Amino acid sequence: MIQVREVTKRYGAKTVVDRLSFEARPGQVTGFLGPNGAGKSTTMRMIVGLDAPTSGDVLVNGKPYASSKAPLHEIGVLLEAKAGHPGRTAVSHLLALARTHGIPRARVDEVLGLTGLSAVAHKRVGAFSLGMGQRLGIAAALLGDPAVVMLDEPVNGLDPDGVLWVRNLLTGLAAEGRTVMLSSHLMSEVSLIADHLVIIGRGRLLADTTVADFVTAEGVRVVTAAPDALRTAIAGPGVTVTSTGAEELLVTGATARAIGLAAAARGIPLFELTPQNTSLEEAFMTLTHNAVEYEAAR
Amino acid sequence: MKITPAGVVAAEWTKFSSLRSTWVTTGISVFLLIAFGMIASASVSDDSLSSVDLALSGSTLAALAVGVLGALLGAGEYTTGMIRATLAAVPRRLPVLWSKSLVAGTAALVTMTAGAFAAFALGSAVLNDEVGRLALGDDGVLRALFGAGLYLGLVAVLGVALGMLVRSSAGAIAILAGLLLIVPGLAALLPDSIADTITPYLPSNAGSAVMALTHDDGTLGPWTGLAVFAGYVVVALAATAVRLKKTDA
Repeated sequence: MIQVREVTKRYGAKTVVDRLSFEARPGQVTGFLGPNGAGKSTTMRMIVGLDAPTSGDVLVNGKPYASSKAPLHEIGVLLEAKAGHPGRTAVSHLLALARTHGIPRARVDEVLGLTGLSAVAHKRVGAFSLGMGQRLGIAAALLGDPAVVMLDEPVNGLDPDGVLWVRNLLTGLAAEGRTVMLSSHLMSEVSLIADHLVIIGRGRLLADTTVADFVTAEGVRVVTAAPDALRTAIAGPGVTVTSTGAEELLVTGATARAIGLAAAARGIPLFELTPQNTSLEEAFMTLTHNAVEYEAAR
Repeated sequence: MKITPAGVVAAEWTKFSSLRSTWVTTGISVFLLIAFGMIASASVSDDSLSSVDLALSGSTLAALAVGVLGALLGAGEYTTGMIRATLAAVPRRLPVLWSKSLVAGTAALVTMTAGAFAAFALGSAVLNDEVGRLALGDDGVLRALFGAGLYLGLVAVLGVALGMLVRSSAGAIAILAGLLLIVPGLAALLPDSIADTITPYLPSNAGSAVMALTHDDGTLGPWTGLAVFAGYVVVALAATAVRLKKTDA
């Protein structure tokens, strides 16, 4: 469980996180979304106490992180790929972290196996690809068998196999009752893994919702003088028609072309025939449009 | 599973011992100490210098090398991004500084004490005829050799503190070289009355006093000197502790 409560972070005059509150709950995958520069990484650093909030506080499993007797058992984090000395081997890197908590060597080998790094365990981290660095970071996050797993942009640099692996790993961890939180600036990536969505822009909370609620139904919007006649004309398997107004229908399961042809064949006048292509990605873009920090000039 | 002081020390030892650069820097420090001691022993004759003083001639360069070792260990946490993983594992933070100082200081103490004894033995073997020969049992010899190890161990701790204070290897090494090598030279430019008063208290002069066999009015006593140097190290550690605790990583 992660509780972020009214957290603000300022660097000089710049407010990076602005009175942000949300919770990431056990048994769920929480997707933490926002455009670049929205304050995601800063928020994640504040959760593990690397940055101190200007005001507000953060609780991990009900208490401030620094007060924990076994921090790695509370929360495992991946904050950036390649956070380690390039001259150290993967196994030494993990061993150095493990020893702080008296975690046995066997657990180090276990997480190396779990993340598919056993073969390169004795290679220097500096020679690792971005994807291998991500896997090492995930291995470090899992080291203490933590109740909360928090990963910043975990699929960056991973190949499609790796992305699928992360997806299965995270949903598996949540199914075990752990709290899982991952950040991304790509909606498409998160919508496949997350149950719960926390969307921020310019440090402010834009939406705290679920993937199901966030999705806008796709379909074709039809405005016609004879909605009942059109319903009959286009009825078929897989086609659903909902009435959204006196003369308006929202049709899913049929293309605009098929609806137009069916209406023409029966002489039903149409005033409007508009495909509704609002995808998750577009809904996200619409939501965050005004909160984009670094926008290309146009 | 619990975070313990011994665990944090073990973790810092793992970090220290798993880098090739630490072994290379340690090796260079020992080599400089012995090599310069042997060269001076074989070639320098000066009435004011005993055979122990000559054997420890390499201590200035060795101090720079162990200081660099400490600075690389301290600043390396920041330059590589490792510090975030380190502090996420040890969120109380200060145990990391104490443990890293302990590991670097002890490693330097052990290797440099051995190096000082080796420099004395090998220096005595090649000693030129103009200089009087001393044995381990003579007055002050053991104190000077163990003192060299203690001083160089403290220099390594100073390096760790500076590295974690300025968070950059180049910056820490520059400050270290400035403190140990350049400041004494600058002090010589001051008017004599001022220079005479402050010169003995400068870091490298104070610390070196423990290694000197003979003392004149212009130097501190051996243990007073080492205590003054330890004072500088404590100040550096305190400043680093404040910055580590108060600022974002």
